[in-house]
Amino acid sequence: MKVNLHPKEGLLINAFMLVFIIHSVQVGVGLAGLPRVVYLHAKHDAWISVFLAGTITSVVLIFMVQMLKQYDSADLYGIHVDVFGKWAGHSLNFMYMFYMTSTFFIILMNYVEIVQVWIFPTLPTWQLTLVLVLLVIYAVYGGIRVVVGVAFFSVVGTIWLAAVLFVPLQFGDFTHLFPIMNSNAKQLLMGAHSTTLSMLGFEIILFVYPFVKEKQKAMFFVQIGNMITTIMFTCATLISIVFFASNSLEKTIWPVLSMFKIVRLPNLERFEFIAVSFWMLIILPNMCFYLWAASKGFSRILRKKQKWGVWIIAIVAFGGSFFIKSRYQMDTATDLVAKLGFYFAFCYPVLLSIIVFIKKWYKRRESKHAETS
Amino acid sequence: MQKRRKWLILVIGITSFFLLTSCGVETKQLERLGLITAIGFDLKKENQIKGTISVTKFDPMAKVMTNLISADANTLQTLRAEENLATDQRLEMGQLRCVIYSKELAEKGIIQLVNALNRDPTVGNMVYLTIAEKDAFSIISMDEKKIKVNIGTYLYNLIRQNVERELLISPTLHEFNHKFFDYGQDPVLPIINVKKDKVAISGVALFNDDKMVAKLNNDKLFYLKLLTDEYRTGSKELEFDRDEFKNIINTQGGRNFGEIYNKLFISLDTLRSNTSIKLVDKKNLVFKVEVVMDSRLLETTNYLELSEPANMKFIEKKVNKEMESQIKKLLLFFQKQQVDPVGIGNEYMAHVRGKPISQKEWKELYKSAKFDVQVNNTIVRTGTMD
Repeated sequence: MKVNLHPKEGLLINAFMLVFIIHSVQVGVGLAGLPRVVYLHAKHDAWISVFLAGTITSVVLIFMVQMLKQYDSADLYGIHVDVFGKWAGHSLNFMYMFYMTSTFFIILMNYVEIVQVWIFPTLPTWQLTLVLVLLVIYAVYGGIRVVVGVAFFSVVGTIWLAAVLFVPLQFGDFTHLFPIMNSNAKQLLMGAHSTTLSMLGFEIILFVYPFVKEKQKAMFFVQIGNMITTIMFTCATLISIVFFASNSLEKTIWPVLSMFKIVRLPNLERFEFIAVSFWMLIILPNMCFYLWAASKGFSRILRKKQKWGVWIIAIVAFGGSFFIKSRYQMDTATDLVAKLGFYFAFCYPVLLSIIVFIKKWYKRRESKHAETS
Repeated sequence: MQKRRKWLILVIGITSFFLLTSCGVETKQLERLGLITAIGFDLKKENQIKGTISVTKFDPMAKVMTNLISADANTLQTLRAEENLATDQRLEMGQLRCVIYSKELAEKGIIQLVNALNRDPTVGNMVYLTIAEKDAFSIISMDEKKIKVNIGTYLYNLIRQNVERELLISPTLHEFNHKFFDYGQDPVLPIINVKKDKVAISGVALFNDDKMVAKLNNDKLFYLKLLTDEYRTGSKELEFDRDEFKNIINTQGGRNFGEIYNKLFISLDTLRSNTSIKLVDKKNLVFKVEVVMDSRLLETTNYLELSEPANMKFIEKKVNKEMESQIKKLLLFFQKQQVDPVGIGNEYMAHVRGKPISQKEWKELYKSAKFDVQVNNTIVRTGTMD
């Protein structure tokens, strides 16, 4: 297997698109419940935690992109093989594929749960999962450019929802925010840790990178994408803290969706139905990218067609949906994936990039020695 | 290419099959639905609640557009099931506008019934909660011919127009929840009353936790609203001793007017106001309540010489003093009743660092709180005449 991936000219995407890719994959089902999970740890300083988490993410992104820059045009699958050799590298690749499949699955299941709670209580799980999975397969079949297009449309089509979030502010009580910085550092970090599920998605840069046309600009646009996400998440958390009383924020499962309940248009009494439906557009690029990146592994590692991977992963995810029945099972599974994500997206890439830096530094020194002697 | 098209057709086919047949999703035909617009709860006896609902139909053939159903049960959901058995339509909560709790029930606590609404995603967040002066049944069962519209809509409009005119604190489900779950604030809900076939607001109920403990009459509402909200419109009549104003009463050439009153009344209308509650002494719990407002003089029961700036200053001073004493009295009343509708607890918690205190601890502290009230009122206009 080749370390570097050189896609055809026609498959390349502009670096500018990375803003949409990173932002759309980060924003997903996690956002709906984000303010609450952070609030449980960091109390009314939750917004500081979210901002902190965004900053940490941006640091992790610096490591990731710097690591990718060490290579000509490689993705994580290639780097693994280059650094760890064939067997260890491939087992790591499989682990990463497993992680992305489970993230794909969790996003899907969380969204179906939201729909069942908010709109259609009697809807069987498998029907909605089937429709969504088929839709995602269809998008991934179109290749990377279609998937990027989905991300672009998702952002453009749903960004107005962020503006609607400011409507609840008029019911806010700003005394909730004070005293600022009342939580200690441990609570703030715990809060930042609990944002993992929402912040996840930026690791997709590890797989998209070979397809970026102007690679030297990648860093800039990736950071912009992450910055938009951070600002949006911080605002959402801030508004939730102001809007909800502390006890009710701790009890509300999806505070962001509950806040939409307050919005009322003259001919539309219940805005949250629109919000929940539009949420599908928000999670679509999430699922598309995870499925695409995971299935990419099939063509890279096993040298099979990517289609095989798409179908296998989709069927596994669809089959898995039959095993989750209740809210608490969902919770355990989500927590598990959040934990996986913390190691796979935050800790491991930093570690790997350090290994890569050391390796490259050694190689350079060796070649220098070879030249001089 | 051929193969790809096949897949495309398959995917679109399956997707549209589910979407178009809406398989698994319940259908709800408007004609077959009974929309609950108002619910009333009474305490029947211990362990039993009597629920009354007002239902609107959309059937154009039906003569009666609304329907009244009553049932006894322990939880809201059983009530709905019981009520569903008594009607030919399927009852839906999506258009619920107003919930009425009887005073008797409110005094025992209503949070379990409010939480039932919170848990149900079909119920909106802007439902109005109210307290019935006597029983909820008699309000819901009002004769519709007299109020011309459905009782749910009537109550909704009644409250909404008063909230919009800033005469009433908005009693939506969201605001009730917010204040209930906040440690440093207690909810208030309007009390409605049936009087000679008319439904009217007769005051507000003050809550301690979820239990109603006191009633505040309409005339005190102005001050409560002043303390809690940015106040824009709304008027207040103030009572003074006429003798104090002797110097500025315009005698209109020796004749006396307004003799039917033995006091002087001044009616003011607020244009804008700004209230700040500050914790000035953390140890002794002294709160400084500062009200800055611009107002308009609407009515006086005696001719007053208003063209002199000194006289205006005099009136302003008198009004300030009167309002200060009224606000202070109100705050002390709240303190005595152990209710905190103003949110003084929130103010306290916002300025004290360290471990957040519990509601119980705050209520203990609240007993020893002191208030320093200062009103700064400017009469900016006197209408079309001096």
